[in-house]
Amino acid sequence: MVEIFINDRPIKVEEGTTVLKAAEKAGIHIPHICYHEAFPPEGSCRMCLVEIEGHLCLELACATQVQEGMKIYTETKDVIEARKGVLEFLMAEHPMDCPICDKAGQCTLQDYYEEYGLFESSFQEEKERKDKKVNIGKGLILDRERCILCTRCVRFLRDITKTNELGVFNRGVHSEIGVFDGQVIDNNYAGNLVELCPVGAITDKDFRFKTRNWFLEKGASICPLCARGCQIFIEYHPGFARFEVPKRVYRISSRVTSRDENAKEKGYWICDIGRYGYSYIDKDRTEFMAHKERDLSGDKEEAVKYINEKIKKLIYRNKLQWMGVILNTWLTNEELFLTKKVFTDDLKLKKVFFPEQAQGEKDDLLLTEDRTPNKKGTEEIGFQFDQLEEKELFEDTELLIVFWTSPFDLGTITELTPELKKIKTKILFTPFKRKWNDDFDLVIPTAVSAEKTGSYTNIDGKVQHFGPVLSPPGEAQAEWKWLISLGKELDIDFKSYVKMRSSLDVFKSMKDEIKFFRT
Amino acid sequence: MNKVLEKVLTKDFDVEHLYKIGVYMKKGGYKTLTKVLKKLKPEDVLKEVKAAHLRGRGGAGFPAGVKWGFVPKDVDKPKYLCVNADEGEPGTFKDRYIMSHNPHMLLEGIVITCFCVGIHTAFIYIRGEYENIAQRLELAISEAEDKGFIGKNILKTGFDLNVFVHRGAGAYICGEETALLESLEGKRGNPRLKPPFPAAIGLFQSPTVINNVETLSNIPHIMEKGAEWFVKQGLAEDGGTRIFGVSGKVKKPGIYELPVGTSLKELIYTHAGGMKSGKKLKAVIPGGMSSPILKPDEIDIPMDCESLAKADSMLGSGAVIVLDEDVSIIDVLRKITQFYSHESCGQCTPCRIGNSWINKIVTRIYKGKGKKDDLDNIEKLASNMLGRTLCPLGDAAAMPILAVVKKFRKELKAEIKG
Amino acid sequence: MSPEVTKSTQKKIKEIIARYPKKQAAILPVIHLIQREKGFISDEEEKLVAELLGIKPVKVREVVTFYSMLSQKPLGKYHIQVCSNLTCSIMGAERLIDYLSKKLGIKPGETSDDGKFTLTTVECLGACEQAPNMMVNTDYYGHLDKEKIDKILKELDE
Repeated sequence: MVEIFINDRPIKVEEGTTVLKAAEKAGIHIPHICYHEAFPPEGSCRMCLVEIEGHLCLELACATQVQEGMKIYTETKDVIEARKGVLEFLMAEHPMDCPICDKAGQCTLQDYYEEYGLFESSFQEEKERKDKKVNIGKGLILDRERCILCTRCVRFLRDITKTNELGVFNRGVHSEIGVFDGQVIDNNYAGNLVELCPVGAITDKDFRFKTRNWFLEKGASICPLCARGCQIFIEYHPGFARFEVPKRVYRISSRVTSRDENAKEKGYWICDIGRYGYSYIDKDRTEFMAHKERDLSGDKEEAVKYINEKIKKLIYRNKLQWMGVILNTWLTNEELFLTKKVFTDDLKLKKVFFPEQAQGEKDDLLLTEDRTPNKKGTEEIGFQFDQLEEKELFEDTELLIVFWTSPFDLGTITELTPELKKIKTKILFTPFKRKWNDDFDLVIPTAVSAEKTGSYTNIDGKVQHFGPVLSPPGEAQAEWKWLISLGKELDIDFKSYVKMRSSLDVFKSMKDEIKFFRT
Repeated sequence: MNKVLEKVLTKDFDVEHLYKIGVYMKKGGYKTLTKVLKKLKPEDVLKEVKAAHLRGRGGAGFPAGVKWGFVPKDVDKPKYLCVNADEGEPGTFKDRYIMSHNPHMLLEGIVITCFCVGIHTAFIYIRGEYENIAQRLELAISEAEDKGFIGKNILKTGFDLNVFVHRGAGAYICGEETALLESLEGKRGNPRLKPPFPAAIGLFQSPTVINNVETLSNIPHIMEKGAEWFVKQGLAEDGGTRIFGVSGKVKKPGIYELPVGTSLKELIYTHAGGMKSGKKLKAVIPGGMSSPILKPDEIDIPMDCESLAKADSMLGSGAVIVLDEDVSIIDVLRKITQFYSHESCGQCTPCRIGNSWINKIVTRIYKGKGKKDDLDNIEKLASNMLGRTLCPLGDAAAMPILAVVKKFRKELKAEIKG
Repeated sequence: MSPEVTKSTQKKIKEIIARYPKKQAAILPVIHLIQREKGFISDEEEKLVAELLGIKPVKVREVVTFYSMLSQKPLGKYHIQVCSNLTCSIMGAERLIDYLSKKLGIKPGETSDDGKFTLTTVECLGACEQAPNMMVNTDYYGHLDKEKIDKILKELDE
């Protein structure tokens, strides 16, 4: 450890720490643009210049390592002037696009001008004119006038995806970012460039001109589209008082920033599948319970009573072996625990079936082959996958309960086969409207992970908790709520279910019973 | 200081075909290399060069012996020498003379240097425009290889060295040492952050020495006649002679080899023949375009690194540009800003945008559309570049601009009003 | 290797690449050779260089667009590059540029319709003692005036 002084305050940091990081530890933010923790220091924006006693010139905070006894000053007249100088240079050749620029509200230039600038413009010349709508691939659009040549995008494709699609062409003030003809960006992490770009130079077609950053709220969640479980923000529009907005969720972004404690281990990126695959949250959702014969009129208790009726009928006839359940690995840990409790422990069912889950190609960074969020959780809770043949499920089955939580039509069951259609009573718990919903006697609307409390266990065995960001539509509610009601209604182990009043209570019980979840 | 001039570097420039190895050797060439390789140790060479106080002749003036001493001794990587023959500083042409008249002198200096530092591969990074000179160098290298002065087992002493010519392609910034390394590695000439310094991490991540052509050409002479002699040719902390280049409105523009510390006035009036066509002197740029301009009452100054630095100017590459009463200062300023905005690599904010912005203002003034605040603005912008850029080009632009605006403000103001 | 450059150029390229521990370092010498033969570097040549050095074409384009002497557009048979820097300017370069422009019928940056001449202005050529200067392809001409320029153009025509 070395002791240094920042603005005359002593602080202790590890050897090799940069001035920038040391200042952050001390709670002092040194403005910087081109620097990003994921890459070695670039030193080209010159925004992070600070004064160090004994040094003739201002030094870069991002690239200078602390030495024992170093005295650093971040608010002297020279430093303030230097910051203003850099901002003035950047804004001189920057188009005043704010009224039409998607980055407005989240823009580093805007934020820094407000904090460190506030000067009158003295630029009276013609600004450089460049292309404003360059297609660089994967729906990304480059505006070369807005680009401040921080080269974060170039370095990301150099160091992280190692695909090197972008380069810097020309020299001096004519420098511009570009691709080689026809060799546009084509990797699964392109969307990160929009987040990385400190200004609105790189925008994506998915978000372009749709809304304004300041209308959006952010909620923390976990991406359910593969087994990595990346930490995300779901950015949604809470709606206007007087008129409709076309959708709720406008964007998914990465939740890990360089100010995070363990940012380096967590990684700063999310893949494009997670970033752009959010339409399932708002599209084709089941909102109301649908019963083929009865009118439930939104009475959740009635629905649960109906299920209980059907199960009890089989119990009285001593034919529980005619009941089957289809589960999946999109359910949360708590929900899987409850399904095990209700169907395997309480009802002692044998026919508990996990269809083949969604698979895809994995990549070297984040994306896993398994495209479901909770296979590991399912394993740790004690389910096994090598069990029923579909044939076994169909033969002699009178009651089938299906939990179909995934938005994807993947797996062996894409529509009910004729055999499944023959089953006398079929009940479906799902968030999604699908053609096959009509084949079920009772369809119960459920919530997606963005709308409920729960946890997933990712491919590395990490248990990640999340809470609701949005409200479920209409009568939909989380599966765990339905399951607790059903457990109580079945009255086989009433005591246990009564204790569980929230998803967290369920997790508490899990910790008591399963060692894995105690860590 | 009146010294008896003993020409060292340019001594044999008038000899016909000096660039041919036969002629060079007849004039005593490669004798020193033979002595050094056969009789001396690398430490002996380093000691001598340090004692000679040979300062870099490219523009920065850093002592060569000190630079060589920074190279780590026991390192598991190959070491490199890069000869900086980029000669892009406007007003400078001395290295062109050395390489076209006496390439073998440079080569001899290269081999001795590499022997001293333990280098086995040297690249001569020569500006792309000097194509004919590059060919002459390549011929000289192959002649030297034939005679066993370059290549494997030089003079049977076991010392190996390959020397290659590497042509640039038109970029002033590649004269900056780390930009030169980037260019040699096959990339854009973007300067690197320092530290780490090239002596530790340079070409291909290996320890590298970068020296100017004239600097290395002095090495055979230092090793032949000794450090003490070399210092006597110049000043105590700044030894030897320098090849000054004089151009502009003088009667005899050309190269002049004179002791370090020669007066600028003497250089212009005694050696370069004085003002052309009897015109009055208006200003002098003493060390290439990057050096702050001097007024006529400031030219009574010794041409050495310290003296010019004390006068808030720079010896730089020793390229003297003489301006007379017919030259309008707005033209001078516009050529300066045109040059730096064209040559900026574009990496860092102040240089990329500052140079272009100032150029736009100056062009507007030149076209008759100057505004009241323009000069103050130019000074503010140049001050925002000074000391804030990634590499010295920002200073190389800001300093001359500030000097011109400060010292000729009246004339520039008149340009704006009129 | 692509059949697009002559065998002797291919041989030279191989020799040059062998000098450097990393192939990419050979990019400038290789591009010089190819520009000498083809006259300029189009995207086809950029792809060729990329292939020869085992790097992506975008990296070649980064280099081609950075350096003033490399051209992405075809150059005339004679590339006349007139220095417009400080010493040459005060010694009369601007008038000579106008003169050349009128004589060749093209503005700086343009190529004549018959493909014979390209006229550009360049920065300091390193021959200030002979100002004003110009470079035609690889040859320097100094101490220029209108008569000398006429003579040089006549010689080129022959």
